[in-house]
Amino acid sequence: MTLTLQQLRADIAAIIEQDASAIGDGDNLIDLGLDSMRVMNLAVQWEEQGVPLDFADLIEVPTVAGLWAIVEQRQG
Amino acid sequence: MMPAVPLTEAQSGLWYAQRLDPLNPIFNTGQYLDLRGPLDLAAFRTAVDRAGEEAEALALRFIDSPEGPRQVIDPALRPRLHFVDLTDDPDPEGAALAAIRQDMATAIAPERGPVARQVLYRLAADRHFWAQQVHHFAIDGYGMVLLTARIAELYGLLLAGKDGAGRPLAPLAGVWEEDAAYRTSPEREADAAWWRAAMEGADEVVGMAQGKATSAFGFHRFAQVLPALTRETLLKRAKAAGLAWPDVLTALVSAYVRRFTGTDEVVIGVPHMGRMGSASARVPAMVMNVLPLRVAPDEAAPLADFLDTVARDIAAARKHGRYRSEQLRRDLGLIGGNRRLHGPLVNVQPYDRPPRMAGLEVTLHVTGTGPVEDINFTFRGDAVNALTVEVDANPNLYGAEEVAAHGHRLSVFIARALEAERLADVPSATPEEAAAELETFNASAHPLPETTLAELIERTMAATPDAEALRFEGESLSYADLDRRTRALAAALRERGVGAESLVAVALPRSLELVIALVAVLRAGGAYLPLDLDHPPARIATILRNARPAVVLAQDDPHGVYGEMLLTPGDWPQAGGGLVPPPQPDHAAYVIYTSGSTGEPKGVLVTHRAIVNRLLWMGAHYAIGPRDRILQKTPATFDVSVWEFFLPLIHGATLVVAPPGAHRDPAAIAALIRAESITTLHFVPSMLSAFLDSPESDEIETTRVFCSGEELPADLRDRFHRRVRAELHNLYGPTEAAVDVSFWPASAVDTSRSVPIGFPVWNTRLVILDEQRRPVPPGVVGQLYLGGVQLARGYVGRPDLTAERFIADPFHPGERLYMTGDLARRRPDGAVVFLGRSDHQVKVRGLRIELGEIEAAIAASGLARAATVLARDGRLVAYVVPDAGYSAEALRAELAKTMPDYMVPAAMVELEALPVTANGKLDRKALPEPVFASAGGGAPASATERQLAALYAELLGVPEIGREDDFFSLGGDSLLAVQLTLRIREVWGRDPGLAALFEYPDVAGLAARIDVATAGDAADGLAPLITLARGADDVPPLFLVHPAGGLCWGYRTLAQALDPRRTVYGLQAPTLDPAAPAPESIEALAADYARRMIEAWGDGPYHLAGWSVGGIIAQAAAVELRALGREPGLVAMLDSYPAECWRAEPEPTQSQALRALLAVAGYDPEAYPQLETRDQVLAFLRHGDSALGNLPGQALDGVVRTVLDTNRLVRGHHHRRYDGVLTHIRAGKDHASRPQLQPELWAAHAARLDCISVPFLHSQLTGPEASAMIAPLLSQRMAARPLVRA
Repeated sequence: MTLTLQQLRADIAAIIEQDASAIGDGDNLIDLGLDSMRVMNLAVQWEEQGVPLDFADLIEVPTVAGLWAIVEQRQG
Repeated sequence: MMPAVPLTEAQSGLWYAQRLDPLNPIFNTGQYLDLRGPLDLAAFRTAVDRAGEEAEALALRFIDSPEGPRQVIDPALRPRLHFVDLTDDPDPEGAALAAIRQDMATAIAPERGPVARQVLYRLAADRHFWAQQVHHFAIDGYGMVLLTARIAELYGLLLAGKDGAGRPLAPLAGVWEEDAAYRTSPEREADAAWWRAAMEGADEVVGMAQGKATSAFGFHRFAQVLPALTRETLLKRAKAAGLAWPDVLTALVSAYVRRFTGTDEVVIGVPHMGRMGSASARVPAMVMNVLPLRVAPDEAAPLADFLDTVARDIAAARKHGRYRSEQLRRDLGLIGGNRRLHGPLVNVQPYDRPPRMAGLEVTLHVTGTGPVEDINFTFRGDAVNALTVEVDANPNLYGAEEVAAHGHRLSVFIARALEAERLADVPSATPEEAAAELETFNASAHPLPETTLAELIERTMAATPDAEALRFEGESLSYADLDRRTRALAAALRERGVGAESLVAVALPRSLELVIALVAVLRAGGAYLPLDLDHPPARIATILRNARPAVVLAQDDPHGVYGEMLLTPGDWPQAGGGLVPPPQPDHAAYVIYTSGSTGEPKGVLVTHRAIVNRLLWMGAHYAIGPRDRILQKTPATFDVSVWEFFLPLIHGATLVVAPPGAHRDPAAIAALIRAESITTLHFVPSMLSAFLDSPESDEIETTRVFCSGEELPADLRDRFHRRVRAELHNLYGPTEAAVDVSFWPASAVDTSRSVPIGFPVWNTRLVILDEQRRPVPPGVVGQLYLGGVQLARGYVGRPDLTAERFIADPFHPGERLYMTGDLARRRPDGAVVFLGRSDHQVKVRGLRIELGEIEAAIAASGLARAATVLARDGRLVAYVVPDAGYSAEALRAELAKTMPDYMVPAAMVELEALPVTANGKLDRKALPEPVFASAGGGAPASATERQLAALYAELLGVPEIGREDDFFSLGGDSLLAVQLTLRIREVWGRDPGLAALFEYPDVAGLAARIDVATAGDAADGLAPLITLARGADDVPPLFLVHPAGGLCWGYRTLAQALDPRRTVYGLQAPTLDPAAPAPESIEALAADYARRMIEAWGDGPYHLAGWSVGGIIAQAAAVELRALGREPGLVAMLDSYPAECWRAEPEPTQSQALRALLAVAGYDPEAYPQLETRDQVLAFLRHGDSALGNLPGQALDGVVRTVLDTNRLVRGHHHRRYDGVLTHIRAGKDHASRPQLQPELWAAHAARLDCISVPFLHSQLTGPEASAMIAPLLSQRMAARPLVRA
């Protein structure tokens, strides 16, 4: 499947139990409660869905904008 | 090369750990990948070498500079792939593994480097092992994942012919900058504050295993793949709870760990990779931290709540995860000893999975991840495809089998917990372990004959009538004698209505009569009930009311509580009596009362079958036979005495009964062991410790020593074997299960650090159950329950208590289990380890005490509104909220009316209210340490008192000590008492003995004893005239004349027992000075002594006494005084007989004279036949505590010479008649072989005789018991003389 920016934000919001609208593109997700174990959960979920992001990407680039840039590059 | 930079905080912690242990290879981290399939060697080499250039940490060189450790990237150290072709090796895989192990086991010196190694082993054309090894300073677990993944990526790109870069690893500089910035940031301070708050109030960390958690050179590893079902359930449960599955695992492992620590809370270590959103996200480096996580599960709460709490706590901790645990440990002062920040590690590494490599099937094997201090539970895998649990453990703390058991058990625990609603529903043990706990470890079935204790004893009496059954203070009974005496008494008891199931109370001191009484009760078919003569009458009355005995066998009825039931030994028939119907195996054999938590003692009723099992087991297990001589020294009210009494009597051995009081006198016990050739005896461990501290126990030999009643400390076991040549056995059991139910050989090669209570005796089960009464696995603390044939029938007259403690055995329908209230765990080998009490029962000096009984007694006194009692450092402390009329003395006096002295608290602490916890329970932790305070009574007066008061102050921790302060009232206990006597010995060279301390526990009293004991110690102790007691100036003194050895030190006790107003002098032989000429005759000596008496006491009168030879000289001196016109007063002789009795006797040899020294020093020469030469005797005396041992060898030679001289002179002496009264005190128990030695022999040498006989042996006449009887006789006779002062 093809991931949209909206879906990316929604998945992250769900895993950190926040409202998607509260997550800005440049917000540091770690400050919002994303930790390595939640990253792991997200990575498992995305791997099942074929999303081209892995664990290392998530921990290295903890913003919605940064992750979306990687997705665009790989989906591109 | 770029300039050197300081280590990061993360590296520093490891640096110092490695510096403390530079040769430890545990700091190597490593893994190997098993690559199956065709490998392109050239591409692989390029990938490894290129990644090696990117990963700067692999080229680090470390420098130990004066400013601290530094690091620098040295390109020359970059690892390059090392290729090893093993295809020609007969066992390529084995060879590769051996090489990998060898590399991992070799410590790298990081100052020299290189820190990293890349090796490819070719096992076959299509099989390779790729081994990577990097020092922990340079990399952590996630760093290794990054490195491996990068090499795999490069290999893939190269194979695909794309020479693209992919995503290179990032430089180290970012990590260093981040570290430097954090060190000075306000964030770090905030983190520090958060952690301090988070850790506040945490108890000291307890591990799952005992011992010091310092990493060894290696570790035990057990790995197991978790079943697919477990993975699926885990994912499902995590999803349902909205949690990350790794957090669920961490929570469950923590709960598992807590089952083993037995604490309410555990602190586990959670490795934190520390790379989230950090510059280190793509840098192989050492970044990881370990976060302490406090987990205190409420097992009864829903599991979901528990998981949620732990996950939240972990998430909160991760936010502050950059703060180094090494720093936190310093902040909290957890340095030194075995103090630590956390226990086991729980490490979930979901990202750690084998890399994907084109065309290859890859499996990952981690060979090392750094120090293993305690035990690490690591989970690798993503849980979707695979999940492996790895248990790495410190081999100093865990055995390999234990580690494997943890792996299996944890897997089962997790699988069960994932299906459970509450943790409380999850058993700790696997089904196999539960079965082992209930059955395998308790396979103790053994055939037991249908018989009784009475029948077994009667059988021995019939089989060996002439053998010696009993010994007591020189008296002896054969089995035939015992048969006759007990048959007669049994018949008398039958006449008084004693039969099956009736009780006979026995209140006798240790004596032949005591044993006769017990056996007679059993033969009459009844059960005996021992009473302690030292217990308060009110307690005895309570017991009698409860037990309703038919007869009381006692010497008298001083408190009027026995009444009509009393039958005194004087009224026992000595012979006669016929056969009576024997008791049956299920009839009662004895009833022993123990402390009861409800406020009254409770009587435990034990049947013949139970005690017969216990005794036959012991006889068989330790091969007890007719040659054994078993010491009976335990009071009959303590159930250890049961085997002491009856084990010898059912095996035809000899029962040696110790004199009353001897059981707490180490010197007396040592003398008994030697004199009576004891083979078997028992000690409560605290008494064993005191025994080993006494010089008399050195090199003592016996066959076997049993310990029970208290925990046997491992150090005590080791001390025992250094000092005593004998087997040591540790036994365990409550009175409710016929004395002992388990045994452990505490031999010299036993290295257990908690000496186990061991394995079950015949037909007995020891079962350790958790709070839900489920069997626990080895290592887990639980409640100890007992089952089998030895269980008591119950508590006399208390079916309620019986039902409470003796429950239906849920695993063996129709049988019972006794709930001991003891905590225990099982070792992997099946031995049970005792861990203390779960309730408020304590032991003081081996005696079992229910704190509830004391609390009930305080409540009943009406002096306190509330009270609680604790045992602190082996002393009882009562915390009391006073009511009207309270004072510590009043309460103490009140308690002493109903309780034995050992149950009266040593300290009373007054509180306004008892502290309670938030939920209203008594807060024991908040109770203050007791302050023991002086009762006043004036400052210490003499130098001895001052020094002694200082010792009291030091040992008891009480600042001010008055001269009337009592050692025991201020919190002294029996062990402190032993320490005190040892300190007294250090200061004064000798001590007055433990018994003296019990008798005179106040400073003034004990100081007086020390003065007496040390009177002869200085060089002055050899003077011709010494002062043994100082009295009033206007009372004529008593002169005591030395016995054969020439010294008067042996008279100290007698001197002290006399009227305190009378000064007592000792006349000593001039020949103690080796330079002095030998006297010519007894008359010459007597003339010398008369002169000295006149010098000391003017015109008289002169009271005179002497023991043995001293009496002969006293008579001669009295004659001499008369000749000089002076008036002798009392002239007394202690068991002396005139010279003509000795003339024909051979003179003692040099060696006999030497051995006489032992007697002079207060030892029984007969007990030390091995001491023959001068050097042996001197060495023995030097080692012992006698004052004689401190004398120069020359002076000892003087004593030997005096013995020889005096004996020679006595044989040449002819008495002149003394024209006055001679008082003669005869040793009435002695001279059986020389009946001619009678006082009347003196009739020819005196005007009149005044004859007295006392029931002692010659050698005992100056001892404490005899002195207590003789001193008043002498005092009376001296007082009858007018006080004339010339």
